[in-house]
Amino acid sequence: MKVFWQRTVLILGLVLMSVSAFAAQQAYKLRVDGLACPFCAYGIEKKLNAIKGVQKIEVDIASGTVNVTMTEGASLDEATAQRAVKDAGFTLRKFEPVQPATQTK
Amino acid sequence: MNVKTVLKFVRNTVIALALLAVGGWVAFVPSAKEPPYQFVTAWGGKGDAPGQFNDPTGIAVARAEVFVSDSRNGRIQVFDTDGHFKRQFGAPGTEPGKLGRPMNLTIHGNELYVAEYFNDRVQVFGLDGTSKRTMGKSGSGPGEFNAPGGIAVAPNGDLFIADFYNHRIQHLKADGSFIRQWGTTGKIGIWAGQFNYPTDVALGADGTLYAADGYNDRIQVFGPDGAFRRKWGGPFAMNIFGPFNGWFATVTRVALDQSGNVFVADFYNHRIQKFTADGEFLTSFGAKGRGPGQLDHAIAVAAADDGTVFVADFGNNRIQKWRPGK
Repeated sequence: MKVFWQRTVLILGLVLMSVSAFAAQQAYKLRVDGLACPFCAYGIEKKLNAIKGVQKIEVDIASGTVNVTMTEGASLDEATAQRAVKDAGFTLRKFEPVQPATQTK
Repeated sequence: MNVKTVLKFVRNTVIALALLAVGGWVAFVPSAKEPPYQFVTAWGGKGDAPGQFNDPTGIAVARAEVFVSDSRNGRIQVFDTDGHFKRQFGAPGTEPGKLGRPMNLTIHGNELYVAEYFNDRVQVFGLDGTSKRTMGKSGSGPGEFNAPGGIAVAPNGDLFIADFYNHRIQHLKADGSFIRQWGTTGKIGIWAGQFNYPTDVALGADGTLYAADGYNDRIQVFGPDGAFRRKWGGPFAMNIFGPFNGWFATVTRVALDQSGNVFVADFYNHRIQKFTADGEFLTSFGAKGRGPGQLDHAIAVAAADDGTVFVADFGNNRIQKWRPGK
């Protein structure tokens, strides 16, 4: 009986780990200058939101950073981010992948 | 070249620069003709409860009610003129009645006109919050918008819209059909009649159009015939920003009072400036801070019939009430 429960817990653990791995999301931090005006901050949100696979955007006006979280399996390349930021009227200063967020279903 | 000659050259240069600075100050920095406004009260705070804000970006006042675009909360909040919450309407979304980042507001008759930055449309509400109709769609063609920032409405219902990313002001019929535009679609310019991210418009009683030419740091004025009349904001009003009287650092709202005076939200200078209809500087009020009468990025302004002025204090997530100074 003890062995049965040990195996069950082990299998459940492995299943959960694999689900978490599949659910890993890519996230990026963008540094953009001059973001204090909402007309520009909203513009960047709007342009980035139009990119396929973007799930969530958080703009920190004070630090001039934009955090972009993608849907599962989607990724964002620097050229695409640069184009969106340029379309919004700004220049991308820094683009860096950050620790992927994970979620367990 | 001996020492005496060098000293003489330096002296003359200093004198010339001093004269230039004095001349520039006299020519380009007007003095106030009116006392500054006096702070009365403020209300708000960050949040999503009634009476709180998450990015207040627009304001309008009519019939003793103050309407505020609570942008990130996707709603309009309504207060009495002392800041008591009365009602709210809207929620984030794209369906009629919902709002995608509402910006500058205009009240015309019994209707509230809302520029929706994310939804690329103008939505018209009854003052009770009932959605009546929407106009426009995403794009750069006639009657289409790319992040509308503000609206003015003529007595016959014609609309004037600051079309932010299209760098133009559109003149439409009440049904949304295109009449004409100022500025070249999608092209930034600093000369008269050109725009650099326009954010708002206002219409005088005689049909004169005032345009907040956002990143050109100026106001542009057009006659009822559409012809360019004048512009102001810093030296030559051509994208030279600064903190002095009559200069701007990003213009986000233009509004008129009952007498036709022009109020301008001077965003990065954390103040409101007041001008005559001809652009003569009258006074300014506000300074950066979080205390009473201080502003953290003044984004919008509206004047009530009795001369009271309401200001959307963007960074402090609050509304401020001011009255004319004595």
